[in-house]
Amino acid sequence: MSTPDGSTGCLRVRVGEQEHELPPGSSVADVVQRMGQAPDAVSTAVNGQFVARTARAGHLLADGDQVLLFQPIVGG
Amino acid sequence: MSNTNTHDDGWSVGDVRLGSRFLLGTAKYPSGEALAQAIAASGAEVLTVGLKRQLAVGDKDGSVDVIRAAVQERGLRLLPNTAGCTTVHEAVQLSHMARELYGTSWIKLEVIGDPYTLQPDPTGTVEAAAQLVRDGFTVFPYCTEDLVTCRRLLDAGCPLLMPWGAPIGSGQGLVNPFALRVLREQLPDVVLIVDAGIRAPSDAARVMEMGFDAVLLNSAVSQSPDPVRMATAFAQAIEAGRGAWQAGLMQQHLRAVGSTPATDDPLLQARAS
Repeated sequence: MSTPDGSTGCLRVRVGEQEHELPPGSSVADVVQRMGQAPDAVSTAVNGQFVARTARAGHLLADGDQVLLFQPIVGG
Repeated sequence: MSNTNTHDDGWSVGDVRLGSRFLLGTAKYPSGEALAQAIAASGAEVLTVGLKRQLAVGDKDGSVDVIRAAVQERGLRLLPNTAGCTTVHEAVQLSHMARELYGTSWIKLEVIGDPYTLQPDPTGTVEAAAQLVRDGFTVFPYCTEDLVTCRRLLDAGCPLLMPWGAPIGSGQGLVNPFALRVLREQLPDVVLIVDAGIRAPSDAARVMEMGFDAVLLNSAVSQSPDPVRMATAFAQAIEAGRGAWQAGLMQQHLRAVGSTPATDDPLLQARAS
């Protein structure tokens, strides 16, 4: 989809190290769903800042944002 | 030094009462099954865990499920860490994520200052600890044996301290036992847990003989050719060291002090002078 000025109108957002094109108005919750993750299976950060699970739906993404998903692992 | 042996030899972190003085890490086991058996053999009630940025499908060997099962079935507690963090910001953000993911406010705080030694950054650790305490966390700070930094961590609100025995995963044992003894003497009422660098059960026993409250280790068990047997050995060593401290070690002397109550001249013959 293109706008009159030639832009695609999509958000370019990095999820981890991969770039994704998302519809405008996409939220962090949308990204979690898009990545096929249950909401309580991951924790999220946008541009290095923790975004709580309860705040994901209301946290709208901007062009160029980086979303990171974190998962539980073993540790010492 | 000795301590009165009480029926309940537990210890506390806040309002949580623990019996085992063995905290066990969950990384680098040969399999999920080996991890499950080592957890059982250790008798540990606290397991450390981590979190990481998703790169691919994780938990290929089911270890995280093993840990969850142990928590569920045995009521074990999880202590998430901030491994890999080198800044205050990273450690604080990861701590919040860990709390959300694991449902606990306990956090093993690691702010690493050097890539070769993985030594804690003393100023970063204190700053991050203060912020996390304000945010309602119970901070288990991974620190060195430096007394001044330890006091600052306590002033920042940490309820206990976790000084290293040696660099993480190095197996060097207790590199500076003098400094550890000083910590125990100068901070008699603080819960002290030696964390990192332990190699042999004798290291853990020695820590407990000094009067430390617990030991946290990972590689010493997981990297043994037989992690399950090693977990048992460590559990026994920690208990033995604790018992020895409670009993009180004998006095040391420079000269020999004969044990057998014999006379000086058993054959009643004058000895050549």
